[in-house]
Amino acid sequence: MSQATQRHDDTDEETLIEVRNLEKYYGDDGMFSPPPVKAVDGVDLDIKRGETFGLVGESGSGKSTLGRTLLRLEQATSGTVSFDGTDITTLEGSDLKRWRRNAQIVFQDPESSLNDRMTVGEIVREPLDAHDKGTERERRKRVMDLLSRVGLREEHYYRYPHQFSGGQRQRVGIARALALEPEFVVLDEPVSALDVSVQAKIITLLEDLQEEFDLTYLFIAHDLSVVRHICDRVAVMYLGKIMEVGETEELYEDPVNPYTKSLLSAIPRPDPTDESERTTLPGTPPSPRDPPQGCQFSTRCPAKIRPEGFEEVSEETWDAIERFREIVRERTRVELGTVDRVKRRAGLFSKYDDIDEAVKDLFDGVERPPVVDDHLTYAVEQVKAGHPQDARERLHEAFGSVCDRERPAHHQVGDRGRESYCHRHREEYDDVESAIRR
Amino acid sequence: MEEPTSRFDEDSTLRSRLEADPEPALRWAAVMAALALVQIGSLLGGLLSILDAAVVGVTAIFDVLFGLVGLTGASAAVVDVQSALSGAVTTARDAAEGLPTLLSRETIPNQGHLASADGPWVDTFLGLEPALAWAVRVLLIVGYSLFTFYWLFRGWLVFRAHYRQADWTPTDDMIDRLRDHRWGQFGIFVLALFLIMALFGPALGPTTVSQNIVSPYSHEVTYFNADAGAVETVAAGDANFNSKSKGAGDQNVGPMTYDNFNRFHPFGTLPNGRDLFTFMMGGARITLIVAGLAIGLSALIAGGLAMVSAFYGGNIDLTLLTTADGIVSVPRLLLLIMISAIFANHWLAGVLDGGFLLALIFAFTGWPFLWRAVRGPALQVAQEEWVDAAESFGQPPRTIMRKHMFPYITGYLLVYASMSTGGIIVGLAALSFLGNGLGITPPTPAWGRAVSLGQSYVSGPSWHISFIPGAMIVVLVTGLNALGDGIRDAIDPESAGGDDDEAAAGGGA
Amino acid sequence: MSEPVLSVSNLRTVFHTDRETIRAVDGVSFDVGRGETVGIVGESGSGKSVTARSIMGLVESPGEILPGSSIRFNGQELTEFDDAQYREIRGSGIGMVFQDPQKSLNPVYTVGNQIIEALEENQDLTGEEAREEAIDLLEAVAIPDAPRRLDEYPHEFSGGMRQRAMIAMMLACDPEFLICDEPTTALDVTIEAQILELLQELQEERGLSILFITHDMGVIAEIADRVNVMYAGEIVETAPVEELFASPTHPYTEGLLDAIPGRQDGSEQLRTIEGDVPTANEAASHCRFAPRCEHAFDACEQAHPQHVEVGPEHTAACLLYPGEKSRSERVEHHRAQAETGGDHE
Repeated sequence: MSQATQRHDDTDEETLIEVRNLEKYYGDDGMFSPPPVKAVDGVDLDIKRGETFGLVGESGSGKSTLGRTLLRLEQATSGTVSFDGTDITTLEGSDLKRWRRNAQIVFQDPESSLNDRMTVGEIVREPLDAHDKGTERERRKRVMDLLSRVGLREEHYYRYPHQFSGGQRQRVGIARALALEPEFVVLDEPVSALDVSVQAKIITLLEDLQEEFDLTYLFIAHDLSVVRHICDRVAVMYLGKIMEVGETEELYEDPVNPYTKSLLSAIPRPDPTDESERTTLPGTPPSPRDPPQGCQFSTRCPAKIRPEGFEEVSEETWDAIERFREIVRERTRVELGTVDRVKRRAGLFSKYDDIDEAVKDLFDGVERPPVVDDHLTYAVEQVKAGHPQDARERLHEAFGSVCDRERPAHHQVGDRGRESYCHRHREEYDDVESAIRR
Repeated sequence: MEEPTSRFDEDSTLRSRLEADPEPALRWAAVMAALALVQIGSLLGGLLSILDAAVVGVTAIFDVLFGLVGLTGASAAVVDVQSALSGAVTTARDAAEGLPTLLSRETIPNQGHLASADGPWVDTFLGLEPALAWAVRVLLIVGYSLFTFYWLFRGWLVFRAHYRQADWTPTDDMIDRLRDHRWGQFGIFVLALFLIMALFGPALGPTTVSQNIVSPYSHEVTYFNADAGAVETVAAGDANFNSKSKGAGDQNVGPMTYDNFNRFHPFGTLPNGRDLFTFMMGGARITLIVAGLAIGLSALIAGGLAMVSAFYGGNIDLTLLTTADGIVSVPRLLLLIMISAIFANHWLAGVLDGGFLLALIFAFTGWPFLWRAVRGPALQVAQEEWVDAAESFGQPPRTIMRKHMFPYITGYLLVYASMSTGGIIVGLAALSFLGNGLGITPPTPAWGRAVSLGQSYVSGPSWHISFIPGAMIVVLVTGLNALGDGIRDAIDPESAGGDDDEAAAGGGA
Repeated sequence: MSEPVLSVSNLRTVFHTDRETIRAVDGVSFDVGRGETVGIVGESGSGKSVTARSIMGLVESPGEILPGSSIRFNGQELTEFDDAQYREIRGSGIGMVFQDPQKSLNPVYTVGNQIIEALEENQDLTGEEAREEAIDLLEAVAIPDAPRRLDEYPHEFSGGMRQRAMIAMMLACDPEFLICDEPTTALDVTIEAQILELLQELQEERGLSILFITHDMGVIAEIADRVNVMYAGEIVETAPVEELFASPTHPYTEGLLDAIPGRQDGSEQLRTIEGDVPTANEAASHCRFAPRCEHAFDACEQAHPQHVEVGPEHTAACLLYPGEKSRSERVEHHRAQAETGGDHE
């Protein structure tokens, strides 16, 4: 779309929202509470006026929490969010209420986002009522106007949400978000619950409205192809951290971060003739209560750096070792029942300490060179003895690399504001592409 | 799509819509006016009684508050204000009750006597025998009331069909589901019957509470004395004394019989010779007022606190949980007995013959049950995204709770309230049964007392004394539970076991 | 092709409501060959899930499979089965994977318990033997540390793992035919990729035949050999997967493909289909897509389109075809077809 590129040129530099070192932890409030969930774990980003900024990630990546924190629906644990120069994380009372007019949200679930005991007119009018905008008559007129802008008819004013389809309900949600003429709208998975053909209509509507009202969008989604279509710039989140950020086309055409690469290659393509090699990620994301000490993605990374001394170990063996570490890691997190705990204390063998089957499953037919065998044997013994924590530490020491130990920095890639969160961008390591190929 | 656009006009008001098509509204209003007119006297009287009760209620709250902060002078002033206002209201009420009323005991009298051993009956309606005259009046009153209830509902239907701007609302579905729910309708019917008893109590009984029960020696009964063969007059109290039901064959006036004083007793008499039916009607009024007040107050407290718990969560919720558990852990009956004893000589114990105090106690001990029941639904709606949406445009918490949470929990409140009302009624009866200064102060009728009075005659010919009040309590409590079931199925059709998922999968786009 | 494993013909499933009869599935016919993966795509309300439930015998009142429908599985007519026979066939012949694994696993039993129970019932394995087999199954669906996982409860599993456990449970019945009803819709892309890969592996190893139901064109392109496109209770187009994506012929299929962001290069405006999926509540005497179709002409409202050959193993039910005939000839052709075979009633 030609407007998209044009929009860039004249709005390129002005930043509307500047997020610095934002953190949002949950469940951090008691002495006896378990370690907090780090939903957003140190995020920096800039959203420029008039652009559509995409935020993608899998469930649990913290993308929705980030969006909600930007709108003050959640209180940030630390860090700043400045909106047009004001830090909004500290706003209170009437200042907060006044600022809220500038930033609105469209929710994912058209079932849950509209109060179904209110008519559509009342729903769209509520923000106007809350801020005492104009007279009764003016408000009603404004609502009628908004309804027709989002493609509904005026007689829908006295209908209830029940009488609408998902797509129409989403339109009502959009009209409500626009009622106060905000500058910034967070679109939290606005089309995920809709059918493809309806999806397309809502996306088109959002694009039209952006142009009409000069809106800045934060578009949160897990559907990468929708994001590619609508966004100017994209940030990819994983476990509370932004892995890569850059201009959409550039990022999709040539992802530099291993996570972005795998994520993009996992999208099922609507093209049966497509034979391109895909990287299927193993396992599931680790618990955000206990994220890896190093890079958040290190447990699943296909381009993980090997520590020195293991260059000769075959790919197959190394893979098995990584999976084995994952299992041991899981073991340390298991909460034992009383009986098993007592058994373990008494030195009895609990079934939770049986690991032979898993070892067999992983290492059968896989070569175990002497450099790794000692560590593995020790770890297996520790697990059997009921000390999975010790085994985990030993494996971490023996096989852990910089990826396991240190948080990467955001490296600049190229000259168009591209950043990637990966150790591979440091000079001493091979680049991501060749590492994945190996 | 076919759109009924005709009714739509963005600026139309209810008034303009009425003017555009006045006929259905006028037809409805004409009938309603006729219904009101024939009962104008008791209607006004009733309204003024409610006003009186409201005055007492409001001043009582002030009094309690002042008492708490130790302003004795202020609380005395409040008592003065209260008595002055009550006095004024009572005068007005007496005036109102002087207005003619169709379905009153004066229009259709049943209290008469035989002129001779073979009749005819004197002073009764059209010279009918008292039982028939009474039956005519009762049937008319019940018929009139049920029709009025229906007509009020009909008014809503007229509004829905002709004057409402929305052509469908979620409430419509609930009402429609209730219209198909026989068990729920049974509940509504029972509740309606008892409400009629409470509202029309004085007109329903064959005699009145004041004549027969409260001050029988100030009223006289004229009757045909068969022994003397002449019409004589005796004090109602003396007549009662000779109409006792005490289980023995010669001392029993059973249901649907006359006593020796030409008085008809639909439910028989009490051991002290008073009319059980009149007693029950009087009891219905006090029971429903106390139970209604109690459940209304607890629902209000429970609903408010449930929303606060759900919206804020965390420590506030925890505090409420502990408080509620604390209250629940004290046996309710014990608490009732203790508080009644403490307040025995306080003026509060005098309001509504002690009923008001009971209502307050029931309310403050009962809310934790309701709170627990609606906390779940409240938590659920607090999770809905529309609550977040309201927060995102700066709606204050108070408004969010009122607009976005309350409508969802009212249904559940109604369900649990109607079911717990049964408990309150039984509790109230239990207190009156125990007696000894507990429950409603005698001689004001109370159901529990009737059961208590009759308990030693249960297995004899005077079985009716305990049985009829007991059965009425059972019917009312069952009815309230049925009503609760009906409302639950109406607001939440899923719980009734119906599953329309598949049809939705097939049809809904 | 040899005798198909499953052969559905003229399947009609309706739901009776107070006001109307909804024809959720209205005259659907297709075959699934041995070792083949057949896809059904459609939007919500198209009847694709009801088709699956009809095959599994899971249609309950107020739903009903109309007489004249035929579902033949390995030569047996499933529509004549009673509950007991269906239970038998569900236990050993046909397996089903649902969209939401949370709902299909019982939260109060361990995953192992549930798999072992399935094994006991269907393969007569007990005790240690069953446990061993359960571990093997969990390993077969690539759940790491299987022996420990066996003793965990469903809530301790992540979404993807639960779906794997569901698949393992179904494999315990050793089915030869698998119905997957949106099995990856609730999952993240990286997990979705894992599950699709797993299904493909299992199919190769065990020679499974799969009926795969989804709304996602990308998933269908990845997994299916043949595709049926459903709209308002009817199959409107059927073709081998490459053929369908290369040359979609039915206007609905075209619209559906054009609505996917990213099919077209760059970011040109998405094409949309106006209107909503209608509710099919009476017998079709017209094209149900006509009101939303940009190629519709008068006859589309009057004649019910029949399947017409438009390419190799490729048919579409649309009055625009066969393309070589004139418009009136085409309408005649469809009318004649409708009278001789297609429609009953």
